[in-house]
Amino acid sequence: MSDLSELHIDALTEIFSIGAGRAALSLSEIVGDEVHISVPSVLVINSEEIDSTTLALNGGRFGAVTQHFCGPFNAEAVLLFTEDQALKIVGDMMGSQMSIEEIAEFEHEAMCELGNIILNACLSAMADILHFTLESSLPNYRIASADEVLCRLKENADQPYVMILHIDLSIENRHTAGSLVFLLSSSSLANLVVHIDQFLGSIS
Amino acid sequence: MNAMDTRRFDIEDIFNAINIGLIVVDTDSKVLLWNDWIAKHSNIKETDALDRQLEDVFSEPVSPPFLTALNNTLVHRLPVVLSTALHRSPLPLYNAYEANQPKTRMYQSITITPIQSQLNESCCLIQVADSSTSMKREKILRSHSEILKKEAVTDSLTGICNRRFFDAHYEIAVAEAKRQKHPLSIFMIDIDFFKLYNDHYGHIAGDNIIKQIANTLKSQLSRATDVIARYGGEEFVLIMPHLPREAAEQFAEKLRSAVFNLAIPHVKSHSFNQVTVSIGLCSGIPENDNNPLNKADTALYQAKQNGRNQYICLPLGENFEQ
Repeated sequence: MSDLSELHIDALTEIFSIGAGRAALSLSEIVGDEVHISVPSVLVINSEEIDSTTLALNGGRFGAVTQHFCGPFNAEAVLLFTEDQALKIVGDMMGSQMSIEEIAEFEHEAMCELGNIILNACLSAMADILHFTLESSLPNYRIASADEVLCRLKENADQPYVMILHIDLSIENRHTAGSLVFLLSSSSLANLVVHIDQFLGSIS
Repeated sequence: MNAMDTRRFDIEDIFNAINIGLIVVDTDSKVLLWNDWIAKHSNIKETDALDRQLEDVFSEPVSPPFLTALNNTLVHRLPVVLSTALHRSPLPLYNAYEANQPKTRMYQSITITPIQSQLNESCCLIQVADSSTSMKREKILRSHSEILKKEAVTDSLTGICNRRFFDAHYEIAVAEAKRQKHPLSIFMIDIDFFKLYNDHYGHIAGDNIIKQIANTLKSQLSRATDVIARYGGEEFVLIMPHLPREAAEQFAEKLRSAVFNLAIPHVKSHSFNQVTVSIGLCSGIPENDNNPLNKADTALYQAKQNGRNQYICLPLGENFEQ
């Protein structure tokens, strides 16, 4: 399906792990407690092959933070958490500052920020390591059902490839899993492969 | 020629008129722009801020996550948002600087975006929005919603719980009594000859009787777990968990005499010449096929048949089902 070898995937996993580390550091500073983020797997597939298993989404409603970015390759990056988990993460992050009733009202803004931190960290790690610069839109948060999410990912004809990162996030004893999805056009994917090859060439 | 060249106003005027804080800093986080809004809420003049490091401009410290976010934007050129929920008040900005007004630190919502200077330097635009007003609005909406929630379960005439609340509470109380096998007592209370009272004294007087009796019945309750509700027109229902039959019968008599002792005249009441109530009650540990409410209703019917101004008690869950 794509021109990515195991080596490419390993390099991407490494890059995103560095990004995840940066995101965890920023989040720790905000919550004043230890935060761990890891990227256990990276997957690149055709968007037609995408389903709830590949996204590790089990029904229900999702909070999705989206940023469009451009540079040597353009993509739409979407960070997905189940709505319940999103609320719990935000609740933990806000700590005792706010009561549970207030959380729902501030969820959008806080989720936007959480998504923004993780997306920016992953994008900037990629830009730093692969030596290019990226520009990005501001984050946008919305809530959607699993079907709506899948439908939107599949119908995107201009971006037939998806890169999926499974993300594990733990804040103060709470463990959460989410997915970071990059929607890529064929040429964007090809450009990404070129940059990874250059990077691999430079270190070998 | 582009639109900017042909405009007939100064862009500085826009920056200063806009109802949002704008700061531009360069790569070394030196201030290049400080609009009137920021000057007003920080009490620091533009001339005192320009060309100084942003964090040195303020007399109070700026929050570390804000500085991290600013640094990230300067280095990585990616936009950053700082939410009110997670930061509250990152910059020392205040809502009121007028005399006699308490100085309150402003809740802020901040967006930091990378911009390029004319000299091709990497700069950052910091936009600060005052979220205090939206916080206030949220609080007002929340208190309204609490009032509405309370109204939704309250009977408007008597101020006691309404049927909607009772129905939900009843299900939970019966299920719990079944599960924990503890005795439950349910009382159906009806005002005797109420229709005749209404016809003779009028609807306003009728409403007053309903209110008075609701208050009297409610005043007999002392446990937080007991719930009384207006069930229908002149009918009330009372549910008391953990109350065995003997105590329930004594309580029913207490309710009956409390109403009787009000001694409200009712010339159309055939037997008593005053307002009275009939009470049907059932008491016991509910079993699976029991419907305690029906049982209490049957008991109430029997109390009416027996001559009113009395209670009848039927047992629950002892296989006396009809």
